[in-house]
Amino acid sequence: MSVLSEMLRNLFSKPVTTRYPAERVPIPDGFRGRVGCADDRCIGCSKCSLVCPASAITMVDSPRMVEFKGRTLERKKRPSIALYQCIRCGLCERHCPADAIHLRNGQSINGSTLDEVVTCTL
Amino acid sequence: MTDPFLLIAYILLFPGFLFLFAYSMTFEFLDRRIVARMQNRVGPPFFQPFADLVKTLGKEVIDPRGVDRPIFDAAPVVALAAVMTSFLYVPIIGPSPLAFQGDLVLVLYLLTLPTLALMLLGWLSRNIYAAVGGIRAVTMLFIYEVPFFLALMMPTLMAGTWSISDIMAWQEEHLCLAILQPIAFIVALIGLQAKLERTPFDIPEAETEIVAGPWTELTGRRLALMHLANETSAVVGSALIAAVFLGGLAFPWTVESAILSATVGFLLFLAKTVAILLVLSIIRAATARVRLDQLNTIGWKYLTMAALAQVGIVLVMMASGVGI
Amino acid sequence: MTRIVVPIGPQHPALKEPVNFRVVTDGERIVDLELNLSYSHRGIEKAAEQRDFIRVLPLIERVCGICSHSHATVFSKGIEEIMGVEIPPRAQYIRTIIAELERMHSHMLWLGVAAHEVGFNTLFMWTWRDREAVLDTLEELSGNRVHYNMNEIGGVRLDLSPSQVEAALARMPVLEERIRAYVGMVEDEETMLTRFRGVGSLSREEALSFGAVGPTARASGVDYDVRKDDPYLVYDEIPWNVVTDTNGDVYGRTKVRIGEIAESLGIVRHCLENLPGGPIRAEAPKAAPPGEILSRYEAPRGEVAHFIRTNGTARVERVDIRTPTLANWTSVAHCLIGRPLADVPVIVAAIDPCLSCTSRITLVKSGGDLGKDAPPPNGPRGWSR
Ligand code: SF4
Ligand code: SF4
Repeated sequence: MSVLSEMLRNLFSKPVTTRYPAERVPIPDGFRGRVGCADDRCIGCSKCSLVCPASAITMVDSPRMVEFKGRTLERKKRPSIALYQCIRCGLCERHCPADAIHLRNGQSINGSTLDEVVTCTL
Repeated sequence: MTDPFLLIAYILLFPGFLFLFAYSMTFEFLDRRIVARMQNRVGPPFFQPFADLVKTLGKEVIDPRGVDRPIFDAAPVVALAAVMTSFLYVPIIGPSPLAFQGDLVLVLYLLTLPTLALMLLGWLSRNIYAAVGGIRAVTMLFIYEVPFFLALMMPTLMAGTWSISDIMAWQEEHLCLAILQPIAFIVALIGLQAKLERTPFDIPEAETEIVAGPWTELTGRRLALMHLANETSAVVGSALIAAVFLGGLAFPWTVESAILSATVGFLLFLAKTVAILLVLSIIRAATARVRLDQLNTIGWKYLTMAALAQVGIVLVMMASGVGI
Repeated sequence: MTRIVVPIGPQHPALKEPVNFRVVTDGERIVDLELNLSYSHRGIEKAAEQRDFIRVLPLIERVCGICSHSHATVFSKGIEEIMGVEIPPRAQYIRTIIAELERMHSHMLWLGVAAHEVGFNTLFMWTWRDREAVLDTLEELSGNRVHYNMNEIGGVRLDLSPSQVEAALARMPVLEERIRAYVGMVEDEETMLTRFRGVGSLSREEALSFGAVGPTARASGVDYDVRKDDPYLVYDEIPWNVVTDTNGDVYGRTKVRIGEIAESLGIVRHCLENLPGGPIRAEAPKAAPPGEILSRYEAPRGEVAHFIRTNGTARVERVDIRTPTLANWTSVAHCLIGRPLADVPVIVAAIDPCLSCTSRITLVKSGGDLGKDAPPPNGPRGWSR
C-alpha cells in the first residue's frame, strides 16, 4: 500500500524534475569545474604540470614579476591547460604552492578539437 | 440513422475513425502523463504521441533479410483495421447505428486480431527475440482471453442480449452492471490490461529480457501503424468496458435539447473511459512484470476462477430475481 | 520444443555494460549457458605501473564509476601499509564518510536497476530521485558526483568545513524516511515479490563454495564482511552491524542491501557527528620501500582486493585488481541453469555486476598451459582466474 499512497501523493504534487533551461541546479561551492590559473600569483614552479594525471598542463614562456610570500620574484613560465584533456581531478589545485591554479564552477570544455590548446586565466 | 450520408459521417468522422484517432492520441498522452506524474516526473507534452506517430511514419522501412514482405507489411494494417472496425460497434452516445445481435462477439474477436498480428510479425521477423516474443504473446493470449471473454459475456447473461448497445440500454432501466457484477468488472479490467500488454503483463515485449519482443524488427510505418493499433485498442477496450459495465451511470436528469443531451452523453463517455484509463495507469505504475509461468497461475487459478464464480453468482441472482 | 540459442549481449537493453551470454533454452527454460566476459579491457593495471603515486590515484579511481572511492581507498591503504604511514584520524573519518555515502548511492542505484529489470519502473524512478540527495551530498563534500578523488597517499585531499558537515547532516532525516519507505515497498509490493522470491537461490554452502562475496554472500547467511573481519579505517571503533539474511534469493539480497543503506546512514551520521579535529594528512614519503601486500576492502558489491608490489620507487611494480563482480560470476552461472529466460536479467542484476571493472581475467587451461591457443570456454566451469 505504501507504493499506492506514494503514487497518489506524487500525482498531485509537483514533479521533482528540474526543468533545465528555466530552472538550474545550484552548483555547490568547491565544485570541480573549469580549471583556471591566476596569472598574478603563479610563480611558474611547474608543480601542477608534474602532478597532472592527464598531462593536460604544459608550461609556456611568460616572464613576469610576481609576489610570493611577501617577496617579489621573477617567474619564467606559466601553465597552459588543455581543457579538453583535463579530468577535473583537482590535483593541480591541491599541489600548487602559490594558490594560483583553481577549479571553479564554470563548465569545462569537453569538445573534440584536439589541436586547439586553451590557455586560460582566472 | 438510415441516411447513408450520416452513416458515412458516423464511420469516418464522429465518433468513427477521426475521433478514434484523435482520442487514442489523447489517451496515450494521458496515460504517459499520469504514469509520469505518479513517478514524480514531468511527462511528455500534449502533442508528443502525435509527434511520435508522424516521426515514425516518416522513417525508413527496413526489411530484415529473408522476411516475407507482403505479409510483414499487411499485418499492422490488418491489426489497425480490425481495431478501427470494432470501434464502430461500440456505443458512444446512445446506441451504435450498426448494432446487431451478437456485435459483442464480433468486437471481442476483432480486438484479438492485433495480438495475432503481433505473433505473426514476431514469427516472420526471423529474429530470435521477436520469435520468443511472438510465442509469448500467443501463450499469454490463451491465458487471459478466457477470463476476459467470460467476464464480458456475463452481462449478456443478465441483460439477455448479445448486442453492446442493448446491454447499455438495459443498464439504464436496471442497475449499472459494474455494481451488479463487480467481480466480472474487475476481471475485465485486468484482462484489458493484459490485452494491451501493459505492465504487469508486458511479457511479450519485456525490454530487459527480449529487447522489444515482436516489435524488435518493426520500423517506420509498420511500427507506427502497429503502435497506433495498440493505442486505438486501448480506447476501444475502455469504451467497450464503459458501455458494458458502466452503461447505467447516465446523467440523472433529463436534458431537454437534443444537442445538449448528446453533449452530456459525450462528456459522460469521456469521463468513464478516462476513469478506466486511470485505473489501468495505476496498475501499470504500481506493478512489476510477472513471468509467463506466474501469469499462468494468476490467469487460471485466480482470474478464471473468479470469472466462473461470477457466472455462478449471476445464475443464482437471476434465479432468485435479484437485480432484474 | 527444440533448443534455441538466445544471445544476450554484448549489446542488450538489460545490460548496461558489454558482456555476452549465449543462453541455450528449451522453450523458456535455460538448459545451458555460456559466459563471455572482457569486452572492455582497458589495461588499467599496466597503465598504473607507469605513474607515480600522486598521478596513479585518479586512474585507479576510474576502475569503476560507482565504487570509485573503494578502489582508490584500497589502493592507498595498501601503499600506506607498505610505507608504514599511519593516516590521521580525521582523514580516516573522512574516508569512511565518503565510503559509506558511496555504498548508499550504489545500493540505491542497484535497487532502481533491479526494479527496472522486472519492469517496475516506478520504484526505479523513485530510488534514483532519492539517490540524488546522496549524490548532492557527495558533490558538496568532494566537488564531484562520481569521482571524488578524496584520497591521497597519507590522507585525504580535502577537508570538510563545519558548514558542509551541517548541510550533510541536514539531509540525513529525509534519507532515513525514504529508506523506511523502501523497506515497506519491498515487503508489500506483490508483483515484485513474485519476481524476487525464490529466484536465484544460493544456499550457504553454495555461496561459500563459489566464493561469493558482498551482499550476494550475506544474503545466503554468510556472515562475511571485510569491515568486520579485517577492520580498516574506523570500522572497529564505531557502532554498526553486518546485515545478513537467510533467504539466499534475490529477495534476500534486496533486503540485505536496503539494510546496508540504513547501516551506512548510521555510520555516516556517527562519523559526521564525531568528526575528530587535527590534520587531514600525514607526510608520506615519495617512494615506497620494496614490498608486497594484499589490500582488502568492502566495496558496495563485496570484497575488492588489490595485490600491490612495490620496488622502492615512486611507482608500483605490479597492481592486480580483483573486483567483487568476478567473485560473484560463477554463482550467477550456477543460479541461471534451469530457470526461465525471464529470470536472466533479475539474477544477473542481483549481484550488481560491474562488468567493465571485471574485464581483466585470465584464461587458464586445465593443463596449466597459458596461451592464445586455449580453446574458447564452453560453460562457466571453463573460467577460472
Ligand atoms: S584538474 Fe587534474 S587533470 Fe585538470 S589540469 Fe588539474 S591536475 Fe590536470
Ligand atoms: S603549481 Fe601553481 S604556481 Fe606552480 S606553475 Fe602551477 S599554477 Fe603556477
